[in-house]
Amino acid sequence: MPLELYYFLSITAVNILLSWALYLPYRVAHLHFITVANMAISGYAAAWLVMSLHVPFGWALLAGFVLGGLIGWLVSLFIGDAPTFAVVIVGFTFIFIARTVIENTPAVGGSMGIFGLPNIGGSPETHRATIMAILAAMLLLVGFLLHRFEHSRLGRAASAIFVDKDLAASLGVDIRGLGRLLQTVSCTIAGGTGVLYGFIYKSFHLDFFTFGLVGIAMTIIFVGGYSTPWGTVVLAPILYGVPLLFPPAIQEWRIVIYGAALVLVLVLKPEGFVTRRFVVSVESFLSGATRKKR
Amino acid sequence: MKKILGFLIAAALLLSVVGCQQPAPKEWDIPFLNSLTGAIASIGEYLEWGAERAAKEINDAGGIKGKPVKIVPVDTALDPQKGSTEMARLVKNTLVALGPVPEPVIMAAMPIAVEAGMPSITASTSLEYAQKFFPWTVSWLPSTQDRLAPLVAAWAKQFGDMKQVVQFVENYGPWPGMADAHAAGLAGLGIKMLDKVEVPSDAVTFGPLVVKALSEKPDGIVFACKPASAAKLIKELKSRGWKKMDHLLLFSSADAPDLYTTGGKDLDGAQIYNYINPDIDNPRWDAFKKAYGDAHGGQEPPSLSTNYYDAVYMIKDAIEKTGVTGLPGKLKQERKMIADYMANVQGFHGIMFDWDMKDGVPTNKPSFIFKIQDAKKVLVQEVK
Repeated sequence: MPLELYYFLSITAVNILLSWALYLPYRVAHLHFITVANMAISGYAAAWLVMSLHVPFGWALLAGFVLGGLIGWLVSLFIGDAPTFAVVIVGFTFIFIARTVIENTPAVGGSMGIFGLPNIGGSPETHRATIMAILAAMLLLVGFLLHRFEHSRLGRAASAIFVDKDLAASLGVDIRGLGRLLQTVSCTIAGGTGVLYGFIYKSFHLDFFTFGLVGIAMTIIFVGGYSTPWGTVVLAPILYGVPLLFPPAIQEWRIVIYGAALVLVLVLKPEGFVTRRFVVSVESFLSGATRKKR
Repeated sequence: MKKILGFLIAAALLLSVVGCQQPAPKEWDIPFLNSLTGAIASIGEYLEWGAERAAKEINDAGGIKGKPVKIVPVDTALDPQKGSTEMARLVKNTLVALGPVPEPVIMAAMPIAVEAGMPSITASTSLEYAQKFFPWTVSWLPSTQDRLAPLVAAWAKQFGDMKQVVQFVENYGPWPGMADAHAAGLAGLGIKMLDKVEVPSDAVTFGPLVVKALSEKPDGIVFACKPASAAKLIKELKSRGWKKMDHLLLFSSADAPDLYTTGGKDLDGAQIYNYINPDIDNPRWDAFKKAYGDAHGGQEPPSLSTNYYDAVYMIKDAIEKTGVTGLPGKLKQERKMIADYMANVQGFHGIMFDWDMKDGVPTNKPSFIFKIQDAKKVLVQEVK
């Protein structure tokens, strides 16, 4: 695989997974930015395990997932049913705390970062193949779970909470329990994604995990469509890929173009490009076509 | 018949081999992975300006081996994601590149250059970052400890009353390491280092930080933080009665236009160290200063503005002195020739002074301590 295609695909996959990690708790109206902090915490922890304790990458990745999930679960005990604004504040605070702790921890390179992560499997080619395989597997697995979630009672309960918490509670929905579950799963995904993100670059720097990353994920979700996971799949490669094709003269206007697109979409199509209604109509069309074939 | 057939096959093979050999390019394209948009776009602009200036001078003088050189700006927008993808695109065919800028993009993108064996000059970072990617980059500065400890000691030696010093330190990239080197230099003189005061990157009010520092009763203060933050801290210090302005020392990364625009007259008398000296007198540097001032509303060239200017000239020397042809078929071999040349070049003619490199590290670059007066730097001493 050409090198630039590898970076394009792997980083796009990371952006999709991060956006899905944000999308999932947003189904119950929680903008859970702690996911970005969890990416950093799990990523640095895995890098430290590999570099300092010589733990094999597979175990370090697993530890990243577990650490992310554990932090997500612990925090969810307090904000499982908190209002959107409180969850946002907790997320931002967590990013600050994580950054401060990491930049003052010499064992993980402090403000300098961690360099020279080893190639998984010994060679750059094996490293890239392994990263791509894991990311592809994660995309399929998380995508499948999201699809199942959307079509389950839990998904319908989440939709009810999103529209009106009181109404959902009166219908017997366990608001706190569902919030905790989605936050924990979201943080688990983010933890593993953070490990892979750093191992793509073979290094970790705190500025890999800035509010810019929150901005990327938010744009992907809200322009792509926040009512279905498919919007993320469509927009992540476009948002990341199209600017790479801009001629140099237009490159410097990239941020303006992003901003204008975001404003236009929010004004003209507030649900984003890919809406739930659109997905349902596509699914009906496909199932109709299948029935006709039979 | 067999002879004719054999001749035809041989001719076809020969033609196919000749046809496969791509000609050398008509110009030397040097991509520059730089942050032209985003938070440090103003720095990216003058880094780019320096590189373009060198290319213009070289082209006016006939180019490199008779071919023009072209700096190709590649905006990484301070984004590791974009930086890595752009670097992955460049390593296919590029002979040598400039950048990336700054550290997060260097860390994400330089491993790609290293894997591909393509030299890329990271002239705006410290040795501690650059050395991780040797031999495919060179450092523009010696080790932080080696250069900063004597510098800060030279500053402190000016004053007999300097017994204890406090530092304002911002936790960014190599800056805490630079603060440690300052402390080591002062400790060597028996000066007591007081508890450092951490400057948050997003600080908006500086009064409490200054009160904390003054409560330790320092005789001198060293600033290792963003230019605008340093300027605001000095304003706060003055408003709280600090008089000994020359007992304030700003580190090199604070020497940027926003220091002077934010600090104004309140900076007068403070000292600052850096690696370029605007008062050096030679025709190239004089022309550079004039051109920079013309293009930037009369401003002096900032500290990093000459780094990529010199880097372009170093590439020119490498190409001319090692017989690099630019032929695509020799890409791998000629990349190595350029990297090897740059790592150990002797007597390189920089715009302000000549210097030598040993294994990718400069060995004899001077540093300077200045006094700030009317937003200009006045030389106090040179430190070697």
